[in-house]
Amino acid sequence: MSGTYLGQDPLQQTYDAVVVGSGATGGWAAKQLAEAGLKVALLEAGRAVSPKEFTEHLPAYKLKYRDHSPEVVRTRPVQKQCYACMEYNYEWFVNDLENPYSTPLGKPFTWQRLRVLGGRSLVWGRQSYRMSDNDFMAASRDGYGDDWPISYAELRPYYDIVERYVGISGAAEGNEMLPDGQFLPPMKMSCGEVQLRERVKAKFGHTVTIGRAAVLTQNHNGRLACHYCGPCERGCMTFSYFSSPFTTVKDAMASGNCTLFTNAVVSHVDMDTEPNKARGVTYVDRLTRQVKEVRGKAVILCAQALESTRILLNSSTREYPNGLANSSGALGHYLMDHVVGAGASGRLPDFRTLPNANEPARPNGIYIPRFRNTPSGKQHSRFIRGYGYQGGAGAGFKFSAEGYGASLKKAVKEGEYEISLGAFGESLARWDNYVEIDHDLKDAWGIPALHINMTHGDNEAALMEDAGAMGAEMLEAAGAKDIRVQAGVEMPGMAIHELGTARMGNDPKKSVLNAFNQAHDVKNLFVMDGASFVSSACQNPTLTMMAVTVRACTHLIDRFRKSEV
Amino acid sequence: MKRREMLRASVLAGAAAALRPSLATAQKAAEASSQASELTPAQSGVDASKDLAAPGWKPLFLDEHQNETLIVLSDLIIPATDTPGAKEALVNRYIDLVLAAETRETQRAFLNSLGYVDGESIRRFKAAFRYLSQEDQDILLHALAYPRFGSGWAGDRNAVADPGHAHFEALKERIMTAYYSSQIGEKELGWDGAFAHGPYQGCEHPEGEHK
Repeated sequence: MSGTYLGQDPLQQTYDAVVVGSGATGGWAAKQLAEAGLKVALLEAGRAVSPKEFTEHLPAYKLKYRDHSPEVVRTRPVQKQCYACMEYNYEWFVNDLENPYSTPLGKPFTWQRLRVLGGRSLVWGRQSYRMSDNDFMAASRDGYGDDWPISYAELRPYYDIVERYVGISGAAEGNEMLPDGQFLPPMKMSCGEVQLRERVKAKFGHTVTIGRAAVLTQNHNGRLACHYCGPCERGCMTFSYFSSPFTTVKDAMASGNCTLFTNAVVSHVDMDTEPNKARGVTYVDRLTRQVKEVRGKAVILCAQALESTRILLNSSTREYPNGLANSSGALGHYLMDHVVGAGASGRLPDFRTLPNANEPARPNGIYIPRFRNTPSGKQHSRFIRGYGYQGGAGAGFKFSAEGYGASLKKAVKEGEYEISLGAFGESLARWDNYVEIDHDLKDAWGIPALHINMTHGDNEAALMEDAGAMGAEMLEAAGAKDIRVQAGVEMPGMAIHELGTARMGNDPKKSVLNAFNQAHDVKNLFVMDGASFVSSACQNPTLTMMAVTVRACTHLIDRFRKSEV
Repeated sequence: MKRREMLRASVLAGAAAALRPSLATAQKAAEASSQASELTPAQSGVDASKDLAAPGWKPLFLDEHQNETLIVLSDLIIPATDTPGAKEALVNRYIDLVLAAETRETQRAFLNSLGYVDGESIRRFKAAFRYLSQEDQDILLHALAYPRFGSGWAGDRNAVADPGHAHFEALKERIMTAYYSSQIGEKELGWDGAFAHGPYQGCEHPEGEHK
């Protein structure tokens, strides 16, 4: 716990809003509400982070195991499935032994979590794409699932706000599936990527663009432009990539209206004696195990999709025996995570550029927006929705060179020019993909853990099959040789884009939240993270999550002003 | 420390705790010490780059013969040329360190592969690998590195996989990782030691002239 509020005991206050979670969405909620003059309590399950612990400029040879530590796997066997969990920074990720969850036999799910101030915004992939009405209104167009209760036009001004503040580098393309935004200058493409762009446009008419990344290409809002050192997931001394502790949370604290509670592991929402009214939240102090309550006029969950839903499921009352604000029964259901596992890679033998260890390391790749089932194209016979690709091309050292001896050393340095594409496909919202409380399993703080039940279905498999084949065709058009195709489906959770489980909707019988992320059942309870998503689209979701949060907070501030809370 | 002294010490510690000014201070101290332990060694500034070169180094996992065999093998796979090779980069010591922390299964797989090389050496040359002439070592390694597959006329040339080649590749992968992650390996790749090299310039060629 740190920070004080009016010099009094922080636990004796009734805050205007209690925000649970300090990541991409919680940071925005705290900033918006505190800057509007509301008194905010911001709860984070982990500790604070300091720039002193950043390791982006540490060469691997200074690490005991040079980033191949078998010891990391022992405490973080699940977290290690994410590339960003490394010997450098594994303490930012949860200890899997203290934070268990269960899955049915034969249905694995990997769940990557950070419990430090800023959460996953410290290590995220930074790719930032808008969704369009092709996504928000997809159900009306192809008949599957439900529309969002908000349209692109309604969300657009909030995308603008978020992009202007965060700083998204990217190029406008006028693509019907991927609306343009408020961009900083785009990063440059490599030669191989430009060739792919030119030839894919000529042969297929598809767009290849530079990744839209929350990484600054010029100084912006007091943060410095990227210096192209490469490994953002280990921290950034110039704060050039967006992470909440050094931006939104910092602003919230600077307003003087936000009290930060670190090491506050929230177990459940407390209800008032007045019906259908939340009173605050109860947390367990991570270090002392003391149980405490923080009171607020509004409770806002931004704990990460599955964690927010876990809190609600653990908040059952007499009126809501199956989870708080769950009169619809939809809480926990419609879990989504983008399907990955397909793509293609090869080499461009005509390119003679040698690999260079001193080349600036661009923390970004290329992006191919969805081109299947577009309004201007025809409906595919084997699947609905679509996928986008991330990828890249460049000269790399050839550690796979054959043989041994002096010729091997030489071949490594001569390298080869590689090109690759990997698809992210839409994960359909299905009732059968759900989380529930595992009553036999508790975390280290005694809080009941989740049982996660998710599989990808036939549509996801068909998307990946097509993505492998199309990826290979596009690489071939770019002049690639020795093309290797992948067309599988990885276990759910691998995209680290968990969405749904407390979805929005206009019908209280079919959804948990209304169009402003407010629980239908409990009017002063909000879920403002990825749990609220109605569909997953195929774009990386963080930008949309932040825009949805800012929109919901704007509405909440308005209601405070009208004394409706 | 005798039992009575231990009891006395714990009583004193209890009294000291009771005398602390407030719970808040105690909590702060607990937080501070816990936070210190919640950093990775890298995050708390530990530099382990000199550890392997320490005088009096002894293997943690490998026995002397295995260690000597690995030194010889690694320096054949990545020899000194106009730049240092695997031996000078202490590749054997790094591999030993990693293996010591690995699972039994992984440890066993490594020793199997190393043992295979000695087995082939004894079968063909009647001596363990590290005692062979460099010429014989080269003959043996060449056979493992470039195996003869089946005739291939039936299609998949990998259909007849050579176990010797698989063992060679497993050993080579560990040696490559160890070498190119060392400070010597970083220099071999041409890294100048600086982390920022200015903005990424990208392609500046006209359309159709990329290279």
